[in-house]
Amino acid sequence: MMTKRHRKATRITLTYVILIVAFLFFVLPMLWITYSSFRSQGAILSGSIVSSAKEYTFDNYKLVLSIADFPIYFWNSLRIGLMVTAAAMVLSILGAYGLSRYPLRGKNAYIMGVFSTQMFPIVLLLIPIYNIVFSIGLFNTSVGIMLGQLMLVLPFAVWMLKGYFDNMPKEIEDSARIDGCNLFQTLWRIVLPISAPGIMVAAFYSFVVSWGDFLVVSVISQSLKTATLTLALQRLSSSLQLRWGQVAAATVLTIVPTILMFSFVQTRLVEGLTSGAVKS
Amino acid sequence: MGRRPATWHEVRSASFLVQELALKGRFLRENGALPLIAPTLVIMAVFTVLPLIEGFRLSLTNASLINKGAAFIGFENYKQLYADPNFWLAFVHSLILTVVAVGLQLILGTILALALKQNVPGIKFFRSIIMASWVIPVAATAVMFTFMVEPGYGYYNIILNAVGIKVNTFWFGSLQLAFPLIIILHLWRNVPFYGIAFLAAMQAIPDSQYEAAEIDGAGPLRSFFTVTVPGIRNMVIVMVTIHVLWTFNNFDMVYLTTGGGPVFATEVLPVYLYQQAWTSYATGYASAIGTIMFILLMIYFIIYIRIYQRQED
Repeated sequence: MMTKRHRKATRITLTYVILIVAFLFFVLPMLWITYSSFRSQGAILSGSIVSSAKEYTFDNYKLVLSIADFPIYFWNSLRIGLMVTAAAMVLSILGAYGLSRYPLRGKNAYIMGVFSTQMFPIVLLLIPIYNIVFSIGLFNTSVGIMLGQLMLVLPFAVWMLKGYFDNMPKEIEDSARIDGCNLFQTLWRIVLPISAPGIMVAAFYSFVVSWGDFLVVSVISQSLKTATLTLALQRLSSSLQLRWGQVAAATVLTIVPTILMFSFVQTRLVEGLTSGAVKS
Repeated sequence: MGRRPATWHEVRSASFLVQELALKGRFLRENGALPLIAPTLVIMAVFTVLPLIEGFRLSLTNASLINKGAAFIGFENYKQLYADPNFWLAFVHSLILTVVAVGLQLILGTILALALKQNVPGIKFFRSIIMASWVIPVAATAVMFTFMVEPGYGYYNIILNAVGIKVNTFWFGSLQLAFPLIIILHLWRNVPFYGIAFLAAMQAIPDSQYEAAEIDGAGPLRSFFTVTVPGIRNMVIVMVTIHVLWTFNNFDMVYLTTGGGPVFATEVLPVYLYQQAWTSYATGYASAIGTIMFILLMIYFIIYIRIYQRQED
């Protein structure tokens, strides 16, 4: 009895030790840069953790938002992210629903085929993609970047949604079909409302991949017209090397949208990302 | 106008048409998924399969981003790669990075999952925030870590100084510290994902299995190896497989922090390829690097399938 209680105490202590270390390592860096974004340059460089009240400031944000073309980068990231998400959702809902509900000879080969593209080195693919995008006149356009990013997103989006549809009962759709709904009516009225949580996760995933992409944008974007936040961050941190307050503010503005969306889907995100693997 | 009887010719072509339609109908009935998945397949083919083939073709030429005409030069680029010490450096770094990062992620992710599984007060909060590092852009991660390892005022150095370890260098600029720090970046981003994924797999293991193991007299360590490990085996395989691919192909963690430096200390294959293609404009040479990368991943994939099939038998 004593040993059992003893063991439980050890387990709880050990758990908290791991959780505290994990917090310091994984979470505190994000809080630290947020904290630093409200400090003056002098306060940051002093190396102290706390400074006097008058050294806390909103100036970093004011400066970043006014002088650094930051709102333009932000809008570009948002626009491209939404375009990628919308296109990826239309394509992957249709594809995943098809794979889940309709027959196809060699279905597993198709799924494996789409997934094995994850193995291709993207840095290599980008050289021909640059030529393709250039030759169809989409170089330095949002659509060009969107097409380049879709191939990063689609395999996972299809896989997640297929897993989701597979776990959904077919009966309601069958009765809708009998009532005379065609495929698109069934999708729109029955499938989409029921599978909204799964679609939200896939949409979040698509948006986050697009929002965080640096590689594709760096090759296809050529000017402020299409440059995104990730490019801006790279430029800001190399040009204003010592203006850490402003760089921190820019970083926080880049992180906040993804963290906000993440807070809406977080528990479902894990289910969505891992449903295929847990099931098998 | 009266209706004339159909000629034999017309009858035959009409019956062909009907037959064809019936065939098409049957084909669609048996392959109904095809029209729905087709748009995705087309995009994936145009933006992954074609570029892969085209990349291999380019690797046999002296193509350059600035000169338009490219000549076929056979395996000249590969011979040059073989003699290029920087390529071999990047090659070795990529292998070490992939093996060490994925290995550590696996171990630390399991430990994290075991902690997250405990029903202690505050655990829900932890489970919900821990994956935040996975959703933020790598460009932001790169800035954060560059900031944290600044000498004097960086978070890491403040902590280390506080416990009496004086490291007043910029870590990314240090020959000894830059490469380990790249590995730490990979851990920072991915370990929480492992933790949460393994947690999901652990929660799917029925309690009765643990109880049975306890009745058999198994301690925590033995029930971990006899119940937990087999229970999360599939998840481990999935996570390791995708992370080997992602880590080996990862470009931005190195490019946005050190750019491969100092003096090639952190150079990896994707970054070396990128620099060859977009800084030196040596498209052909860069494509040869990419083709080698693809071949390495293929070998990994084939070995993996072999082992997997043997275990299934």
